[in-house]
Amino acid sequence: MRTFRLLDLAAHAPARNMALDDALLEAGDDTPVLRLSTWEPAGLSLGYFQTLDDVPSARAADTTVVRRFTGGGAIHHGAELTFAITAPASDPLYRGPVADSYCRVHKAVVRALAAFGVEARIGPGTAGVVSDRAGTGMCFHAVTSADIVWDAGAGPAKGVGSAQRRRGGRVLHHGSIKLDTDPLEPGVATVSAAAGRPVDARAMAKALLDAFVASFDAEFEPSALTDAELAHADRLGDFFADPRFLADRRARPAAR
Amino acid sequence: MSDQAATRPDDRKYTKSHEWMKVDGDTVLIGITDHAVDELCSGNEGDLVYCDLPEPGRQVEAGETFGEIESVKAVADLNCPIDGEVVENNAEIEDHLEILSRDPWNEGWMIRVKPSGKIDDSEMMDAAGYEAYIAE
Repeated sequence: MRTFRLLDLAAHAPARNMALDDALLEAGDDTPVLRLSTWEPAGLSLGYFQTLDDVPSARAADTTVVRRFTGGGAIHHGAELTFAITAPASDPLYRGPVADSYCRVHKAVVRALAAFGVEARIGPGTAGVVSDRAGTGMCFHAVTSADIVWDAGAGPAKGVGSAQRRRGGRVLHHGSIKLDTDPLEPGVATVSAAAGRPVDARAMAKALLDAFVASFDAEFEPSALTDAELAHADRLGDFFADPRFLADRRARPAAR
Repeated sequence: MSDQAATRPDDRKYTKSHEWMKVDGDTVLIGITDHAVDELCSGNEGDLVYCDLPEPGRQVEAGETFGEIESVKAVADLNCPIDGEVVENNAEIEDHLEILSRDPWNEGWMIRVKPSGKIDDSEMMDAAGYEAYIAE
Protein backbone atom coordinates (compact mmCIF):
# COMPACT_ATOMS: atom_id res chain seq x y z
CA MET A 1 0.00 0.00 0.00
CA ARG A 2 1.31 3.41 -0.94
CA THR A 3 1.37 6.46 1.26
CA PHE A 4 0.20 9.91 0.26
CA ARG A 5 0.43 13.03 2.35
CA LEU A 6 -2.98 14.63 2.90
CA LEU A 7 -3.49 18.35 3.29
CA ASP A 8 -7.12 18.17 4.29
CA LEU A 9 -9.91 20.51 3.30
CA ALA A 10 -9.17 24.14 3.98
CA ALA A 11 -10.36 27.43 2.54
CA HIS A 12 -7.82 29.81 1.08
CA ALA A 13 -7.85 33.03 -0.90
CA PRO A 14 -7.46 32.55 -4.67
CA ALA A 15 -3.83 33.63 -4.97
CA ARG A 16 -2.90 31.60 -1.88
CA ASN A 17 -4.46 28.48 -3.38
CA MET A 18 -2.32 28.89 -6.48
CA ALA A 19 0.79 29.59 -4.41
CA LEU A 20 0.22 26.44 -2.36
CA ASP A 21 -0.11 24.30 -5.47
CA ASP A 22 3.06 25.84 -6.88
CA ALA A 23 4.88 25.24 -3.61
CA LEU A 24 3.95 21.55 -3.59
CA LEU A 25 5.10 21.23 -7.20
CA GLU A 26 8.39 23.08 -6.74
CA ALA A 27 9.35 22.34 -3.16
CA GLY A 28 7.69 18.99 -2.52
CA ASP A 29 9.52 15.70 -2.17
CA ASP A 30 8.93 12.25 -3.65
CA THR A 31 5.89 11.47 -1.49
CA PRO A 32 2.70 12.24 -3.43
CA VAL A 33 0.48 14.89 -1.86
CA LEU A 34 -3.28 15.36 -2.06
CA ARG A 35 -4.49 18.86 -1.17
CA LEU A 36 -8.20 19.64 -0.84
CA SER A 37 -9.47 23.19 -0.81
CA THR A 38 -12.20 25.69 -1.38
CA TRP A 39 -11.78 29.31 -2.40
CA GLU A 40 -12.61 32.10 0.04
CA PRO A 41 -13.52 34.45 -1.44
CA ALA A 42 -14.61 32.82 -4.68
CA GLY A 43 -12.30 33.54 -7.57
CA LEU A 44 -11.81 33.01 -11.27
CA SER A 45 -8.65 31.27 -12.44
CA LEU A 46 -7.41 31.87 -15.97
CA GLY A 47 -5.66 29.09 -17.84
CA TYR A 48 -1.94 29.76 -18.25
CA PHE A 49 -2.05 30.56 -21.95
CA GLN A 50 -5.30 32.54 -21.85
CA THR A 51 -5.54 36.30 -22.05
CA LEU A 52 -8.05 38.39 -20.12
CA ASP A 53 -9.74 39.11 -23.44
CA ASP A 54 -10.36 35.39 -23.93
CA VAL A 55 -12.61 35.36 -20.86
CA PRO A 56 -15.24 38.13 -20.90
CA SER A 57 -16.36 37.40 -17.36
CA ALA A 58 -12.81 37.99 -16.07
CA ARG A 59 -13.27 41.69 -16.66
CA ALA A 60 -17.01 41.93 -16.22
CA ALA A 61 -17.67 39.91 -13.09
CA ASP A 62 -17.03 41.24 -9.60
CA THR A 63 -14.67 38.47 -8.62
CA THR A 64 -11.00 38.01 -7.83
CA VAL A 65 -9.00 36.82 -10.85
CA VAL A 66 -5.80 34.78 -10.76
CA ARG A 67 -3.75 33.09 -13.46
CA ARG A 68 -2.92 29.41 -13.05
CA PHE A 69 0.31 27.77 -14.14
CA THR A 70 -1.77 25.02 -15.69
CA GLY A 71 -3.48 25.26 -19.04
CA GLY A 72 -6.98 24.96 -20.35
CA GLY A 73 -9.88 27.32 -19.83
CA ALA A 74 -10.97 29.58 -17.02
CA ILE A 75 -12.78 28.26 -13.95
CA HIS A 76 -14.90 30.13 -11.43
CA HIS A 77 -14.19 28.55 -8.07
CA GLY A 78 -17.38 29.22 -6.16
CA ALA A 79 -19.58 26.28 -5.16
CA GLU A 80 -16.95 23.66 -5.83
CA LEU A 81 -14.23 21.50 -4.35
CA THR A 82 -10.69 21.84 -5.66
CA PHE A 83 -8.33 18.88 -5.41
CA ALA A 84 -4.64 18.92 -6.26
CA ILE A 85 -2.26 15.97 -6.48
CA THR A 86 1.49 16.54 -6.80
CA ALA A 87 4.03 13.79 -7.30
CA PRO A 88 7.12 12.94 -9.32
CA ALA A 89 6.47 12.23 -13.00
CA SER A 90 7.81 8.73 -12.32
CA ASP A 91 5.03 8.06 -9.83
CA PRO A 92 2.66 5.27 -10.93
CA LEU A 93 -0.14 7.85 -11.04
CA TYR A 94 1.67 9.96 -13.62
CA ARG A 95 3.92 7.63 -15.57
CA GLY A 96 3.46 7.51 -19.31
CA PRO A 97 1.25 9.66 -21.53
CA VAL A 98 -0.64 12.60 -20.08
CA ALA A 99 -3.87 11.06 -21.30
CA ASP A 100 -3.25 7.92 -19.24
CA SER A 101 -2.65 9.90 -16.07
CA TYR A 102 -5.89 11.79 -16.61
CA CYS A 103 -7.68 8.48 -16.94
CA ARG A 104 -6.27 7.25 -13.61
CA VAL A 105 -7.22 10.40 -11.73
CA HIS A 106 -10.60 10.77 -13.37
CA LYS A 107 -11.60 7.16 -12.77
CA ALA A 108 -11.10 7.81 -9.07
CA VAL A 109 -13.15 11.00 -9.25
CA VAL A 110 -15.95 9.14 -11.06
CA ARG A 111 -15.87 6.61 -8.21
CA ALA A 112 -16.25 9.44 -5.69
CA LEU A 113 -19.19 10.91 -7.57
CA ALA A 114 -20.94 7.55 -7.50
CA ALA A 115 -21.15 7.87 -3.71
CA PHE A 116 -23.82 10.52 -4.32
CA GLY A 117 -25.58 8.52 -7.02
CA VAL A 118 -23.98 10.60 -9.77
CA GLU A 119 -23.57 8.43 -12.86
CA ALA A 120 -20.52 10.11 -14.29
CA ARG A 121 -18.38 8.90 -17.14
CA ILE A 122 -15.17 9.90 -18.84
CA GLY A 123 -15.56 11.36 -22.31
CA PRO A 124 -18.66 12.80 -23.86
CA GLY A 125 -19.52 9.71 -25.85
CA THR A 126 -21.73 9.98 -28.88
CA ALA A 127 -24.49 12.10 -27.37
CA GLY A 128 -24.19 15.86 -27.67
CA VAL A 129 -22.72 17.64 -24.70
CA VAL A 130 -24.99 20.46 -23.60
CA SER A 131 -22.46 22.43 -21.54
CA ASP A 132 -20.27 23.52 -24.48
CA ARG A 133 -20.52 27.21 -25.32
CA ALA A 134 -18.32 29.23 -27.65
CA GLY A 135 -16.78 32.51 -26.62
CA THR A 136 -16.88 32.27 -22.83
CA GLY A 137 -13.34 30.99 -22.40
CA MET A 138 -14.55 28.85 -19.50
CA CYS A 139 -13.11 25.38 -18.99
CA PHE A 140 -16.51 23.89 -18.24
CA HIS A 141 -17.83 25.15 -21.58
CA ALA A 142 -15.36 23.14 -23.65
CA VAL A 143 -15.38 19.38 -23.17
CA THR A 144 -12.60 17.01 -24.27
CA SER A 145 -12.45 13.24 -24.47
CA ALA A 146 -10.60 13.11 -21.14
CA ASP A 147 -13.27 15.03 -19.25
CA ILE A 148 -15.90 13.83 -16.78
CA VAL A 149 -19.52 14.38 -17.74
CA TRP A 150 -22.88 13.41 -16.35
CA ASP A 151 -26.50 14.03 -17.16
CA ALA A 152 -27.60 17.58 -16.45
CA GLY A 153 -31.22 17.24 -17.46
CA ALA A 154 -31.02 18.33 -21.07
CA GLY A 155 -28.12 15.98 -21.78
CA PRO A 156 -24.57 15.20 -20.66
CA ALA A 157 -22.59 18.15 -19.33
CA LYS A 158 -19.10 18.68 -17.98
CA GLY A 159 -18.89 18.64 -14.21
CA VAL A 160 -15.15 18.43 -13.43
CA GLY A 161 -12.42 20.64 -14.83
CA SER A 162 -8.83 19.38 -14.61
CA ALA A 163 -5.42 20.60 -15.71
CA GLN A 164 -1.78 19.58 -15.28
CA ARG A 165 1.58 21.28 -15.04
CA ARG A 166 4.73 19.24 -15.66
CA ARG A 167 7.96 20.79 -14.44
CA GLY A 168 11.35 19.53 -13.36
CA GLY A 169 10.31 15.87 -13.37
CA ARG A 170 7.25 16.56 -11.23
CA VAL A 171 3.55 16.82 -11.97
CA LEU A 172 0.72 18.86 -10.50
CA HIS A 173 -2.79 17.78 -11.43
CA HIS A 174 -5.54 19.93 -10.01
CA GLY A 175 -9.23 19.86 -10.63
CA SER A 176 -12.49 21.56 -9.73
CA ILE A 177 -15.59 19.50 -8.98
CA LYS A 178 -18.71 21.59 -9.52
CA LEU A 179 -21.01 21.17 -6.51
CA ASP A 180 -23.70 23.68 -7.36
CA THR A 181 -24.69 26.20 -10.02
CA ASP A 182 -22.48 29.15 -10.78
CA PRO A 183 -23.68 32.28 -12.60
CA LEU A 184 -20.44 32.46 -14.60
CA GLU A 185 -20.75 28.86 -15.82
CA PRO A 186 -24.33 28.26 -16.92
CA GLY A 187 -25.32 24.87 -18.21
CA VAL A 188 -22.67 22.74 -16.53
CA ALA A 189 -23.29 19.59 -14.53
CA THR A 190 -23.35 19.87 -10.73
CA VAL A 191 -23.13 17.20 -8.06
CA SER A 192 -26.04 18.61 -6.04
CA ALA A 193 -28.42 18.59 -9.00
CA ALA A 194 -27.50 15.03 -9.98
CA ALA A 195 -27.67 13.83 -6.38
CA GLY A 196 -31.04 15.47 -5.85
CA ARG A 197 -29.82 17.11 -2.62
CA PRO A 198 -27.23 19.67 -1.56
CA VAL A 199 -23.71 18.27 -1.45
CA ASP A 200 -21.15 20.46 0.25
CA ALA A 201 -17.37 20.55 -0.04
CA ARG A 202 -16.84 18.58 3.17
CA ALA A 203 -19.02 15.71 1.96
CA MET A 204 -17.38 15.73 -1.48
CA ALA A 205 -13.92 15.81 0.09
CA LYS A 206 -14.69 12.72 2.17
CA ALA A 207 -16.05 10.85 -0.84
CA LEU A 208 -13.04 11.84 -2.91
CA LEU A 209 -10.61 10.69 -0.24
CA ASP A 210 -12.42 7.36 0.12
CA ALA A 211 -12.32 6.89 -3.64
CA PHE A 212 -8.62 7.73 -3.86
CA VAL A 213 -7.83 5.26 -1.05
CA ALA A 214 -9.58 2.50 -2.95
CA SER A 215 -8.49 3.48 -6.46
CA PHE A 216 -4.82 4.05 -5.71
CA ASP A 217 -4.50 1.37 -2.99
CA ALA A 218 -3.10 4.08 -0.77
CA GLU A 219 -3.25 5.42 2.72
CA PHE A 220 -3.45 9.15 3.21
CA GLU A 221 -1.56 10.47 6.20
CA PRO A 222 -2.66 13.82 7.57
CA SER A 223 0.13 16.23 6.92
CA ALA A 224 1.05 19.89 6.91
CA LEU A 225 3.19 22.02 4.65
CA THR A 226 6.89 21.54 5.22
CA ASP A 227 9.04 24.53 6.06
CA ALA A 228 10.32 24.59 2.49
CA GLU A 229 6.85 24.44 0.98
CA LEU A 230 5.54 27.13 3.31
CA ALA A 231 8.50 29.39 2.60
CA HIS A 232 7.96 28.94 -1.14
CA ALA A 233 4.27 29.82 -0.89
CA ASP A 234 4.99 32.81 1.35
CA ARG A 235 7.62 34.11 -1.07
CA LEU A 236 5.09 34.00 -3.87
CA GLY A 237 2.63 36.12 -1.91
CA ASP A 238 -0.09 37.37 -4.27
CA PHE A 239 1.96 36.71 -7.42
CA PHE A 240 -0.82 34.75 -9.09
CA ALA A 241 -3.19 37.71 -8.77
CA ASP A 242 -0.61 40.32 -9.74
CA PRO A 243 -2.11 42.52 -12.50
CA ARG A 244 1.15 42.32 -14.43
CA PHE A 245 0.99 38.52 -14.47
CA LEU A 246 -2.69 38.61 -15.37
CA ALA A 247 -1.91 40.92 -18.28
CA ASP A 248 1.08 38.90 -19.51
CA ARG A 249 1.84 35.33 -18.56
CA ARG A 250 5.56 35.98 -19.18
CA ALA A 251 5.69 38.65 -16.48
CA ARG A 252 7.60 37.54 -13.43
CA PRO A 253 7.27 40.40 -10.95
CA ALA A 254 9.12 40.14 -7.65
CA ALA A 255 9.27 36.70 -6.09
CA ARG A 256 8.71 34.55 -9.13
CA MET B 1 5.78 5.48 -32.93
CA SER B 2 7.75 2.26 -33.27
CA ASP B 3 9.02 3.38 -36.69
CA GLN B 4 10.29 6.62 -35.19
CA ALA B 5 11.79 4.73 -32.26
CA ALA B 6 13.88 2.60 -34.66
CA THR B 7 15.33 5.71 -36.29
CA ARG B 8 15.97 8.09 -33.43
CA PRO B 9 18.91 10.14 -34.64
CA ASP B 10 22.29 9.20 -33.27
CA ASP B 11 23.82 12.56 -34.21
CA ARG B 12 22.69 14.23 -31.00
CA LYS B 13 22.38 13.83 -27.24
CA TYR B 14 19.25 13.32 -25.19
CA THR B 15 18.17 14.47 -21.73
CA LYS B 16 16.11 12.70 -19.10
CA SER B 17 13.47 15.40 -19.54
CA HIS B 18 13.14 14.41 -23.21
CA GLU B 19 14.93 17.24 -24.97
CA TRP B 20 17.60 16.65 -27.58
CA MET B 21 20.71 18.72 -28.30
CA LYS B 22 22.61 18.68 -31.59
CA VAL B 23 25.89 20.47 -32.15
CA ASP B 24 25.74 22.63 -35.28
CA GLY B 25 29.00 24.48 -35.84
CA ASP B 26 29.66 26.74 -32.89
CA THR B 27 26.04 26.62 -31.78
CA VAL B 28 23.65 23.88 -30.71
CA LEU B 29 20.10 23.17 -31.75
CA ILE B 30 17.65 22.08 -29.05
CA GLY B 31 14.27 20.43 -29.45
CA ILE B 32 12.05 17.80 -27.87
CA THR B 33 11.83 14.12 -28.72
CA ASP B 34 9.03 12.20 -30.36
CA HIS B 35 8.49 10.51 -26.99
CA ALA B 36 7.87 13.89 -25.35
CA VAL B 37 5.42 14.84 -28.07
CA ASP B 38 3.65 11.51 -27.82
CA GLU B 39 3.31 11.73 -24.04
CA LEU B 40 1.73 15.16 -24.39
CA CYS B 41 -0.73 14.37 -27.12
CA SER B 42 -0.89 10.58 -27.54
CA GLY B 43 -0.64 10.83 -31.31
CA ASN B 44 -3.29 13.54 -31.68
CA GLU B 45 -1.24 16.37 -33.16
CA GLY B 46 -4.21 18.68 -32.80
CA ASP B 47 -3.84 18.35 -29.04
CA LEU B 48 -0.74 20.57 -29.08
CA VAL B 49 -2.17 24.04 -28.70
CA TYR B 50 0.51 26.52 -27.61
CA CYS B 51 4.26 26.85 -27.45
CA ASP B 52 6.31 29.69 -26.00
CA LEU B 53 9.92 30.01 -27.09
CA PRO B 54 12.47 32.54 -25.85
CA GLU B 55 13.56 35.50 -27.92
CA PRO B 56 17.12 35.76 -29.24
CA GLY B 57 19.38 37.36 -26.71
CA ARG B 58 17.95 35.50 -23.74
CA GLN B 59 20.58 33.95 -21.48
CA VAL B 60 19.84 30.36 -20.49
CA GLU B 61 21.33 28.05 -17.92
CA ALA B 62 21.60 24.30 -17.80
CA GLY B 63 18.53 22.86 -16.12
CA GLU B 64 16.56 26.07 -16.52
CA THR B 65 13.22 26.31 -18.29
CA PHE B 66 13.58 27.97 -21.69
CA GLY B 67 9.99 27.73 -22.78
CA GLU B 68 6.65 26.03 -22.34
CA ILE B 69 4.38 23.88 -24.41
CA GLU B 70 0.69 23.22 -23.86
CA SER B 71 -1.32 20.26 -24.98
CA VAL B 72 -5.07 20.09 -24.46
CA LYS B 73 -4.56 18.76 -20.94
CA ALA B 74 -1.08 19.76 -19.73
CA VAL B 75 1.50 22.52 -19.73
CA ALA B 76 5.05 21.20 -19.77
CA ASP B 77 8.32 23.02 -19.27
CA LEU B 78 11.01 22.89 -21.92
CA ASN B 79 14.39 22.51 -20.25
CA CYS B 80 17.72 23.79 -21.51
CA PRO B 81 20.63 21.34 -21.12
CA ILE B 82 23.43 23.90 -21.36
CA ASP B 83 24.48 27.41 -20.41
CA GLY B 84 24.47 29.94 -23.21
CA GLU B 85 22.60 32.56 -25.18
CA VAL B 86 19.63 31.99 -27.44
CA VAL B 87 20.61 33.24 -30.89
CA GLU B 88 17.60 32.03 -32.85
CA ASN B 89 14.21 30.49 -32.25
CA ASN B 90 12.05 28.51 -34.61
CA ALA B 91 9.03 30.80 -34.65
CA GLU B 92 7.43 28.63 -37.34
CA ILE B 93 6.50 25.93 -34.86
CA GLU B 94 4.68 28.36 -32.54
CA ASP B 95 2.13 28.77 -35.32
CA HIS B 96 2.38 25.23 -36.68
CA LEU B 97 2.73 22.90 -33.75
CA GLU B 98 1.90 19.94 -35.96
CA ILE B 99 5.54 20.15 -37.11
CA LEU B 100 6.54 18.67 -33.75
CA SER B 101 4.42 15.60 -34.41
CA ARG B 102 5.58 15.30 -38.02
CA ASP B 103 9.31 15.93 -37.60
CA PRO B 104 10.60 16.70 -34.10
CA TRP B 105 14.21 16.07 -35.20
CA ASN B 106 14.79 18.50 -38.07
CA GLU B 107 11.91 20.83 -38.89
CA GLY B 108 10.91 20.77 -35.22
CA TRP B 109 14.07 22.34 -33.75
CA MET B 110 13.08 24.90 -31.14
CA ILE B 111 16.04 27.10 -30.26
CA ARG B 112 19.60 27.67 -31.36
CA VAL B 113 21.97 28.39 -28.47
CA LYS B 114 25.52 29.66 -28.46
CA PRO B 115 27.18 27.83 -25.55
CA SER B 116 28.88 30.05 -23.01
CA GLY B 117 31.64 27.57 -22.44
CA LYS B 118 32.59 23.97 -22.87
CA ILE B 119 29.47 21.85 -23.26
CA ASP B 120 28.96 19.42 -20.40
CA ASP B 121 26.98 16.51 -21.84
CA SER B 122 28.02 14.04 -19.16
CA GLU B 123 24.41 13.76 -17.93
CA MET B 124 23.01 13.30 -21.43
CA MET B 125 22.44 10.09 -23.31
CA ASP B 126 23.12 8.88 -26.82
CA ALA B 127 20.24 7.50 -28.90
CA ALA B 128 20.64 3.95 -27.59
CA GLY B 129 20.85 5.16 -24.03
CA TYR B 130 17.73 7.29 -24.45
CA GLU B 131 15.78 4.42 -25.91
CA ALA B 132 16.76 2.23 -22.99
CA TYR B 133 15.81 5.04 -20.61
CA ILE B 134 12.31 5.47 -21.97
CA ALA B 135 11.78 1.73 -22.09
CA GLU B 136 12.27 1.47 -18.31
